[in-house]
Amino acid sequence: MVTVTTYWRPTTMADALELVGRADTRVLAGGTRLNADASTDPVEVVDLQALDLGGIGPESEGVLRAGAMATLQDLADGEEVPAVVREAARRERPSTLRAQGTVGGCVADGSGESELLAALLVHEAQVHLDTDGGAETAPLETFLADLPLGAGRIVTAVSFRTSGTAAAARTARTPADRAIVAAVARAADGVRRIAVTGVASTPVLVQPGDQVQPVGDFRGSSEYRRALVDVLVARVQEEIS
Amino acid sequence: MTDVELVLNGVPQRVSCEPGESLLTLLRRLGCFSVRYGSGTGETGAAAVLLDGRLVSADVLLAAQAGGHEVTTVESLDVATGELHPVQTAFVESGALQSGYSAGAMVLATLALLERDPDPSEWTIRDALSGILDRETGYVKVVDAVQRAAALLRGEKPEPMAPVLVGRLTEGAAEPVPDAPAAVPRLVPAADVPATSVVGRGVPKVDALKLVKGNPAFVDDVELRGMLHAKVLRSPHAHARIVAIDDTEARALPGVHAVLHTFNTPRVKYASGGQSWPNPRPWDQVSFDDKVRHVGDRVAAVAAESVAIAEEACRRIKVTYDVLPAVFDEVEAISSGAPVIHDESDTEGIHDAARNIPRRVNGQTVTDDEIEAVFARAEHVFERTFHVQQQQQTPIEPHIAIGWLDEDERLVLRSSTQVPFHARRMVAPLLGLPVKQIRVIKPRLGGGFGGKQEMLLEDVVGHLVLATRRPVRLELTREEEFVSSRIRHAQTITFRSAVDGEGRLLAQDHHVVGNTGPYATHGFTVQSVSGQRGLSQYNCPAKRYTADVAYTNRPVAGAFRGYGAPQALFALESHMDDIALSLGLDPVEMRRRNWVRTGDPLDILPALGERGAAEIQGEIPRVTSCATDECVAQALRAIGWERRGDPTWKQPPDRPSIRRGLGFALCMQATAIPNLDMGGASIKMNDDGSFNLLVGATDLGTGADTVLAQIAAEVLGVEADDIIVYAADTDMTPFDVGAYADSTTYISGMAVKKAADGVRERIVLRAARLLDVEDAGDIDLRDHRAWAPDGRSVSLEDVALHALHLEDQEQIMATASHVSGESPPPFAAQVAEIEVDVDTGQVTVTRLVMAVDCGVVINPTTASGQVEGAMVQALGYALTEDLVLDEAGRAVNAGFGPYWIFRADDTPPMEVYLVQTMEPSGPFGAKSVGEIAIDGVAPAVRNAILDATGVTVDELPLTPERVWRALHA
Repeated sequence: MVTVTTYWRPTTMADALELVGRADTRVLAGGTRLNADASTDPVEVVDLQALDLGGIGPESEGVLRAGAMATLQDLADGEEVPAVVREAARRERPSTLRAQGTVGGCVADGSGESELLAALLVHEAQVHLDTDGGAETAPLETFLADLPLGAGRIVTAVSFRTSGTAAAARTARTPADRAIVAAVARAADGVRRIAVTGVASTPVLVQPGDQVQPVGDFRGSSEYRRALVDVLVARVQEEIS
Repeated sequence: MTDVELVLNGVPQRVSCEPGESLLTLLRRLGCFSVRYGSGTGETGAAAVLLDGRLVSADVLLAAQAGGHEVTTVESLDVATGELHPVQTAFVESGALQSGYSAGAMVLATLALLERDPDPSEWTIRDALSGILDRETGYVKVVDAVQRAAALLRGEKPEPMAPVLVGRLTEGAAEPVPDAPAAVPRLVPAADVPATSVVGRGVPKVDALKLVKGNPAFVDDVELRGMLHAKVLRSPHAHARIVAIDDTEARALPGVHAVLHTFNTPRVKYASGGQSWPNPRPWDQVSFDDKVRHVGDRVAAVAAESVAIAEEACRRIKVTYDVLPAVFDEVEAISSGAPVIHDESDTEGIHDAARNIPRRVNGQTVTDDEIEAVFARAEHVFERTFHVQQQQQTPIEPHIAIGWLDEDERLVLRSSTQVPFHARRMVAPLLGLPVKQIRVIKPRLGGGFGGKQEMLLEDVVGHLVLATRRPVRLELTREEEFVSSRIRHAQTITFRSAVDGEGRLLAQDHHVVGNTGPYATHGFTVQSVSGQRGLSQYNCPAKRYTADVAYTNRPVAGAFRGYGAPQALFALESHMDDIALSLGLDPVEMRRRNWVRTGDPLDILPALGERGAAEIQGEIPRVTSCATDECVAQALRAIGWERRGDPTWKQPPDRPSIRRGLGFALCMQATAIPNLDMGGASIKMNDDGSFNLLVGATDLGTGADTVLAQIAAEVLGVEADDIIVYAADTDMTPFDVGAYADSTTYISGMAVKKAADGVRERIVLRAARLLDVEDAGDIDLRDHRAWAPDGRSVSLEDVALHALHLEDQEQIMATASHVSGESPPPFAAQVAEIEVDVDTGQVTVTRLVMAVDCGVVINPTTASGQVEGAMVQALGYALTEDLVLDEAGRAVNAGFGPYWIFRADDTPPMEVYLVQTMEPSGPFGAKSVGEIAIDGVAPAVRNAILDATGVTVDELPLTPERVWRALHA
């Protein structure tokens, strides 16, 4: 369990922004990662549950908006959500943690193994933030590249496009294990986007033939991960062709 | 402090919490003991509860987060004393409970799922359960329980769990296997098994009620006034001398009551493996040593008012280390120049300390010259080296012990141990107490798998209780469970075989370097069993086994289900496939020319036994019952073995990167250690004709208590639930070596049978008197009554009342114990169906079938549950489970996510065949079933990869990258 000295549950965004602007405060969404952190550094947590950041609904024509506190299960269950995103949301965590873990937590965590982030990347996701200077929006790839999230900023929603044809491919030790490398591709309006996991500190958008420089670990060396990128990218490209 | 308002199980509550308190600890504080610790990362689901109806993990929720919400635990179910909710009934009937540690969570998951989907698909069920790790059942019966619960709630009457009977193929049966759910065992009866009424039935577990209702039944489910919490300071170094310890700041911390380490505790040598006296040498441990030998080794222990204070005290202990070079690989460790791990002067019995070899094991049936002569003139000689990894037992309940001084100031240790009697004897000298001053209680266990065949925490807790005179609790964290408890021995294994042109084995040379980590606790015995298992399965005129047990700076190896057999059989069964392929023979056919059958000698055993039968009896043990031929026939039919020759099945035209394959492995285990394992049982009769059965045997969740109750009930003419089982408690129950070596059904079961026979003798004498029958031998016990040959009867209640109160009063009771000179092996055939993606190396296991000859099956439900659960553990051994260290010896994957044990949503379909034989030495013909099913999956999958792709991978686990490298070599 994380070492919490104070628990805050602000009821207004202004209060929340003030709290998260302080040193040693951490945003608490579902808690599946923060509360599992065994670090002994004391933190104050700012629970966003009272801010009404849940729900998934249309933002504009062809764009869905998932509130930051929408759970991974909400995303997996969303009938309007593209199938590849739903499946990636289901894969993200097992049932219990999926009912707790949130969309905002997932993007703020930015795990390089997240197939959901890869699926959101190819669906041209935008991350919506509130800061004391006002609301901001950033493309997910920019947001991920700038992680960790600076103090005084709260992810409020993630929006993504629903159009197009998408496909995913993955290699893992078992059917439910996190992928060593996964690739997701989407074609829409004549544009193709491809994202891969397992090759960098966050999932990344790639072009066919891009050279990635993954760090190897016990599940897959750098060389093997590069080979998987080639195979899996070719597969998802073929599938959306 | 924060005030939290929540609705707990329908009742509004206002409670005061620390801001960082987890919902798990709050709920336990409020008496909801069904919510249990598994990891602190939300990954086990043992702490799952409903939050506003959604299943979430209370170990990763702050109590404060739950404020304003409804929290529901299994205690909420409004069922009367002794009664069950339909969902709970379903779990009991399906045999879905083994240890039941996470039963509350599973019941809640089912309730939540059925609330939103009254008729869920199997996939939906598996997905809903994916957050609850089950190390025990293999999920087959859990899925069945959810389906059964759904049917019950829809008002249907599901079929009772009864085995499907399958005809014996080797005796000409030709009819197909009837369709049945996967959870139902396929039972292949033998003609010579006598009829029984309770034995042979899948009766519900006798401990089911307390488990499925989440009643406080486990070590941690007690509250003791003034209890202190212990923490152990762990070594950050793989190998270092402790030069100095300054504990001043730790002792000064308010709430700290004791700090123990090498400079303030006695130095008493011991070996921690829970084994019979005298424990195998060397005794190379002390409670707090002046040297650490792996990352996670003990440095010091603290008892304090809270876990947080104890942790803070550990951080304040200043240790000065002299860091030494470390070695992790077993072959490097015994090579020249390796750092010497045991350079102390007071450890006796190390074979070669300078070379890190605590023990050497050797057994052979012929001389070196004779075996080399066979190799020299053989038509074919094959040699292959394999490597297998450290796999952790990962019981969902980690090791935990709570100790206190009772009113007589005796030390009581309530411990999650498989070996309460060994633990009592072994801990006594470390604490300077006589055995009589110690009582060890084993309540329900949340799984053990061998990891708890160890005296692991009892000495620390005992020292702290004696130092503080307060109750002390010590529970390992999940990370500690991975790196600081015990683990399966890694081995480097070489098989060399001489074979004739027809594939008959002429000589087998099996050499092992076994990685015991820095302490040899089970090093000698596990490596001995590897040789027993590697060289017993096939007839061969010349056999030789040699093993070097190697000290390394890896986590400490110990007992783990299979106990040296999974290592040996991965190598042997892979090697046999390679030989068959080289000779152009069918791999099963080649084995058939060699496998042992009834009457064949097990000639390596006397040379490798802990106390071999021959050593005592002067003869070579022989196979007394064996249905290998039938097991193989059933397994091959079930998997569709003929598809190995079907090119369109093996290479599906629509999936160009996929190759399919089928793999086979033969398995064999033992049943108890002959002339060593002993169990006692005591039975007494109550006023109402029920019985108390007291045993030292240690049910880890396997259903052992149920099997023992069935054995007693069969003899006494009652039902299993008329037998009240109490186990194990060193003050209250007879001795038993404990739960290991597959001994409980066979050894403890026979002790129960003998005790029941003794009670029966007293009952029939009195019944004969009451019925005026001359010869008590004519009295029959059945249906709670004693029957005269002419059909008159008297109830057991009347017999009991007569005995206790009316005439010639006596307590009808008997005590017995049992030891066996035999260790009749169970046999099994394991088959695996897999797919390989040849472009990525990904292996997907699509089906597993195992056919097991475990003698007469006492309880088909629990027996098949054992097989299913072991197959899934074995699948982890085959594909994922491997504790990986960095170059400094720190584990990089000591957590369930990266380590990965199989979840409900990624286990393949499985089928279990129970092939009966009548084992003459076992209770009602039984042999063991607990371990054998962990032996065959890894080699069967490896051989299926060979069948699918033509490549061999000789190192476990069979990760995608290893397969890819073999394919692209």
